Amino acid sequence: MNREIREAFFFILPLGIFVLLLMLLPVIGSFWISLWQDVSFLPRKFTGLGNYFRLFKDFQFWQSAGFTLIFSFASVTLEMVAGTIIALVLNESFRFRGIMRGTALLPWAIPSVIGARIWQLIYRYDYGLANYVLRGTSGLSVNWLGSSGGAFLSLVLADSWRTTPFVAIILLAGLQSVPQGLYEQAKIDGANLFQRFFKVTLPVIKPVVIVALIFRTIDALRVFDIIYVITGGGPGGFTTSVSLYSYKYFLLGDFGYGSTVSIFLFIIAFTVAFLYIRAGRFREAAL
Amino acid sequence: MMKRFFLLVLISFVFSSGCSKKESLLTFAVGGAPNEVDYWEKLIGEFENRTHIRVKLLRQPTDTDIRRQSLVTPLNAKEKDPDLFLMDVAWIAQFAASGWLLPMDPYVKKDSFDTTQLFGSVVHQVDIYKGEIISMPVYIDCGLLYFRRDLLKKYGYSTPKTWDDLLQCAEKIQGKERKNNSGFFGFVWQGAQYEGLVCNFIEFIASNGGNIVSKAGSITVYSKENIQALQFMRNLIHKYQISPPNTFTEMREEEVRTFFENGNALFERNWPYAWKLHNSQGSPVRGKVGITLLPKFDNGRHAASLGGWHIGISRYSDKKDEAWELVKFILSYETQKKLCLNLSWNPARIDIYDDPEVKEKMPHMEVLKKAFESTVARPNSPYYTQVSELLQRYVNAAISGKIEPNEALKEAQRGIEKIVERYHE
Repeated sequence: MNREIREAFFFILPLGIFVLLLMLLPVIGSFWISLWQDVSFLPRKFTGLGNYFRLFKDFQFWQSAGFTLIFSFASVTLEMVAGTIIALVLNESFRFRGIMRGTALLPWAIPSVIGARIWQLIYRYDYGLANYVLRGTSGLSVNWLGSSGGAFLSLVLADSWRTTPFVAIILLAGLQSVPQGLYEQAKIDGANLFQRFFKVTLPVIKPVVIVALIFRTIDALRVFDIIYVITGGGPGGFTTSVSLYSYKYFLLGDFGYGSTVSIFLFIIAFTVAFLYIRAGRFREAAL
Repeated sequence: MMKRFFLLVLISFVFSSGCSKKESLLTFAVGGAPNEVDYWEKLIGEFENRTHIRVKLLRQPTDTDIRRQSLVTPLNAKEKDPDLFLMDVAWIAQFAASGWLLPMDPYVKKDSFDTTQLFGSVVHQVDIYKGEIISMPVYIDCGLLYFRRDLLKKYGYSTPKTWDDLLQCAEKIQGKERKNNSGFFGFVWQGAQYEGLVCNFIEFIASNGGNIVSKAGSITVYSKENIQALQFMRNLIHKYQISPPNTFTEMREEEVRTFFENGNALFERNWPYAWKLHNSQGSPVRGKVGITLLPKFDNGRHAASLGGWHIGISRYSDKKDEAWELVKFILSYETQKKLCLNLSWNPARIDIYDDPEVKEKMPHMEVLKKAFESTVARPNSPYYTQVSELLQRYVNAAISGKIEPNEALKEAQRGIEKIVERYHE
């Protein structure tokens, strides 16, 4: 080992310890617990992969896993599209741009539980804002959270409202790194607006897009707070996300199975992040 | 091995952060509305003055699940704090079966503490686990029917005794009141997917002669009586439309209370706490509200879900004797009366209901005492939470119209059997 590598290793060490202590250990700990029958009121015994077999046969779990995946897909798609548009607009120069940039970030600055409360009040059947507007214009009242589809869309909208600014700000940072000269060249070559976006902007900001995607997808897969507040998993259990599902087992005192569900969620999130990183080809982009 | 390692890490953290020596205090975890916790603060002050036992109040939020979670975590880790805490009736079996609660029998014997002063049926149904007293009731709750006295009088109806009475009366008055108030509904109750829904469900089925705990002690939900009652709950929303369409999405205690309090409903199912708020200054229905037992079907009985909070001492407490002193203080005549007069909590002691001052200031206590005699407990099993989760989901799906009541209860039954198989010792 030459000196250079030794030094590099030394510099990485604090981060390594940090990752090990605060991230890896809890995951390993959860995995360890998931191998046990760890129910507070039953004798503790080692069951190996017993909890995992149970998970595969657990219909409710698969329903909630399905919901979580569809929810993540829908809300991340919406956030990426809306975030890109907002970022492109904010990247142009116009009056009060600074104020606009600050304002666009506001929903992200609001604690998510408070944001969820706000949306809960909007969706309220009797005095909610949505129905207030609807009654004023058409005389109708809709029970937004009453049907599976309605509850789903309401949650996607509430989640996107809060996190689109996050996507927008990351993409904005990426956009500012695109050399202006590229656009001028593209213009001279006769590329129109869309061609310029898809052939010039997108390839350059791709690593940033991937970063935003990773953050958002993992966050969306773990979604808990807005569902806990807005629907509580209803109607009829349709909107129970995987996090909410595992939380309910912790409340019961079944720590083993709750951990199993969490580990499964970790595996999904990890796989997704891994695929994104592969798709992003960071090594190439860095060259 | 793993535990020791974690402990080591933890200890090294504690030492490195230079923890200062602290006098160990009796720790009491209490949650609830801010005014309730503030009042506890005051009571604890009196206790400290009298006994010179120093108490630290661990303030918990209002939300029941969060209160529970903040107890499950330290107890499961065998922490010595909190020393004692309040528990919702629905958790006690789990806490007891987990071995987290200290049996109080030796203390009861030593101080010849008179448990017959407490509601016997409640103590019997909830606080005794495997023959030992593991908790004590602090206050009792049960479902009640609130009604608008003024409206019943205006349209010439008497207080409903059966669900049929309620239905007819509600349909008629709702139709008339809608002319001035388009958002008026006949009957509001808790139908959102949460614990409160199970309490409502149990009341409906018990009032139809059904139940969820069979005589042999097993949990059974799939029965003719239960299906009928569930069908009736669903009809209230979809067929008769005397309950608002958001009943199954948003209606919890507070939503129901404010709905009724704003003058938008004729009948309301709620816990006793709503009484004081309905009659407080500025309430639109002040002085116009009456309470009575919940109605029944022809072949059933008046039934009210048993709620309320109980006090328990942690088995891992390092101040068990002091904790018992506080339990005695909280169950004393004096404290129970204060809780009743100041927070309108319904005392667990029967003798308070005959106290002249209480009778004068709170005449409705008489109805409550009667209601407490007709309570139905939720299944007293350590895995009740799991059963409740399942029931919430299926009952909610049935009243939202997603699946038929018959099918919902059949599925629920199947799920319950799986739970029992998994968690039964």
